[in-house]
Amino acid sequence: MKTNWQLFVGLSVFYVLMSVVYWFVGGEPVGITGMILAACLAGMVGFYVWFTQKRIGTIMPSDNITAEISDGAGELGFYSPHSWWPLPVAISAIAVGFGLIIGWWLTLIALVALVISIIGWVTEYEKPLDDPAAHVHH
Amino acid sequence: MTTYAERPTIAAVPGVAPAAKGKNFVKWVTSTDHKTIGYLYLITSFAWFLIAGVLALILRLELTRPGMQFISNEQYNQVFTMHGTIMLLMFATPLFVGFANVIMPLQIGAADVAFPRLNMLSYWLYLFGGIMAFSGFLSPGGAASFGWTAYAPLANSTYSPGIGGDLWVIGLAISGLGTILGGVNFITTIFTMRAPGMTMFRMSIFSWNVLLTSILVLLAFPPLAAALLGLEADRIYGTHIFDPANGGAMLWQHLFWFFGHPEVYILALPFFGIATEILPVFSRKPIFGYKGLIAATIAISALSVAVWAHHMFASGQVLLPFFSFMTFLIGVPTGVKFFNWIGTMWRGHVTFETPMLWVMGFLVTFLFGGLTGIILASPPLDFAVSASYFVVAHFHYVLFGTVVFAMFAGFYFWWPKFTGRMLNERLGKIHFWTLFFGFHTTFLIQHWLGIKGFPRRYADYLATDGFTGMNMISTIGSFLLALSMIPFAINVWITRKSPKVEVDDPWGYGASLEWATSCPPPRHNFLSIPRIRSERPAFDLHHPHIKTEDH
Repeated sequence: MKTNWQLFVGLSVFYVLMSVVYWFVGGEPVGITGMILAACLAGMVGFYVWFTQKRIGTIMPSDNITAEISDGAGELGFYSPHSWWPLPVAISAIAVGFGLIIGWWLTLIALVALVISIIGWVTEYEKPLDDPAAHVHH
Repeated sequence: MTTYAERPTIAAVPGVAPAAKGKNFVKWVTSTDHKTIGYLYLITSFAWFLIAGVLALILRLELTRPGMQFISNEQYNQVFTMHGTIMLLMFATPLFVGFANVIMPLQIGAADVAFPRLNMLSYWLYLFGGIMAFSGFLSPGGAASFGWTAYAPLANSTYSPGIGGDLWVIGLAISGLGTILGGVNFITTIFTMRAPGMTMFRMSIFSWNVLLTSILVLLAFPPLAAALLGLEADRIYGTHIFDPANGGAMLWQHLFWFFGHPEVYILALPFFGIATEILPVFSRKPIFGYKGLIAATIAISALSVAVWAHHMFASGQVLLPFFSFMTFLIGVPTGVKFFNWIGTMWRGHVTFETPMLWVMGFLVTFLFGGLTGIILASPPLDFAVSASYFVVAHFHYVLFGTVVFAMFAGFYFWWPKFTGRMLNERLGKIHFWTLFFGFHTTFLIQHWLGIKGFPRRYADYLATDGFTGMNMISTIGSFLLALSMIPFAINVWITRKSPKVEVDDPWGYGASLEWATSCPPPRHNFLSIPRIRSERPAFDLHHPHIKTEDH
């Protein structure tokens, strides 16, 4: 995982350096701001990955050069087998945008639809703990 | 994502069908399989490629002879605006997402991408956003007509009234949101879902390029979204963000190109990656300078945010020495890549199957575009040809050279992995040579057209200008280019029932993990993954007697 955060932190440092050079040679404010924001973005991701790696503490099998495939055995995580929810979320999002052009009434309706479909998305696999239906795969 | 439901293990869900059995449509529309979503991306972006290609033919027909023959000036503006917009943002960018979606999880030994439903949301946002921008053609005032760069103040509501421009702005903002989500998805997948032993420095070059392209997406698309939303506020609510009275014209150019130049590398890097996957397979050699290639890609990604204003030399308001120097500098890692590609072929047993042929086309065409890029990076030379057909020729060599040549290389190379069937070699070669000659006939001549002074984006010229002959050649070339789609279509059609590929690696020398699973792969990609000890795990598996150097 070391490569991961080093990549982002390295980019961040480079962007800081570039913005300083650009400012020093007489660059304009848009570019300086843009590069500093780029540095912040890369730095934020780098910090998060570094922090997460530190918290995990151990070397992951994917970073271990002598790992066997069996080291990654077991539960791989939950994968949605198929889902309708991305479609209504996208349709609501496009309607929010379309409403900006043709009228606020559509944006308001679409925002409600967007919130409902995001709730549907988030709760798609939420089931009460002891509900036997929770064990049925979609 | 958390859930209280019992987590199914990987073995528990192979081939899960949606509730409505046998309904392919439902299966595709509700899919969360990275391969299916990848195919949706590839098919949709190819459809946009054909649509924008037809728009290009309209432009070429109009320019064949002096005088306006088919369309009005305003329609001409709409057609070139939508041609550029579609080709860059609805064809080339999502084509990267398509290839990355299908291939990258296979190459790193993952079962899917990190956020399967987010992946599908990205696709829908792209599809609907693209249709929205294109639907301007159906509006009373027609589609957006301010060029794909939408410079201020031309793009404001005074100079470009009508709903077509608004649909363009909002459509691109929404489609861009999908691209950003795709970038997040790919970075997370590469960081967290590599197979055991698949360290970062054993990852295929294509996957590395997907990672760095995704980082560039995160850096480039938010400024575009900000600029577009500001433009829309100007257009609808009468704000003065891009008002020339307070420097808004330059603000737009800076913001747009702060997106626009990394975007060029977003379009280039993944296709460099495709070429880098194909070259060693048909040279029967490992990649020459694996780490050098990665370093070059990182250098390109880093430098690409510091060169944006070379698109603005002619504005007279940017630091010419800084941006000229940075632009020359970014040519160095690109040269390193060429060195590595040639080094890979050097003394190899090179054979010219169709995918390799397309990579040769890419190398030749992109090299030429890169060389004219060095000319344009020099301000005194740029001033002479700025906004002329020389620039048009340059960026078609760069973008068509990488995106289209490498796309077809990737199609022919991975078609067995996509469909389980090989494409026909003979038709593939006819396809290649028709397209190659068509492309170069269309665009080589445009360098001279530009030097003679023909400006881009002009709908017409005078017979006395002396542009007629060269324009005619260019138009003939463009139709040859268009005709080359016919052998490809025939190829796809006739091979749809050809014998199934029974082996994992039909090319015999595949290196990365996608060649260690069946054609096409099962729902969660691998029934078993070979032990990973080098950057060529599939090669180590199939050719155990040849020891690969361990990185």
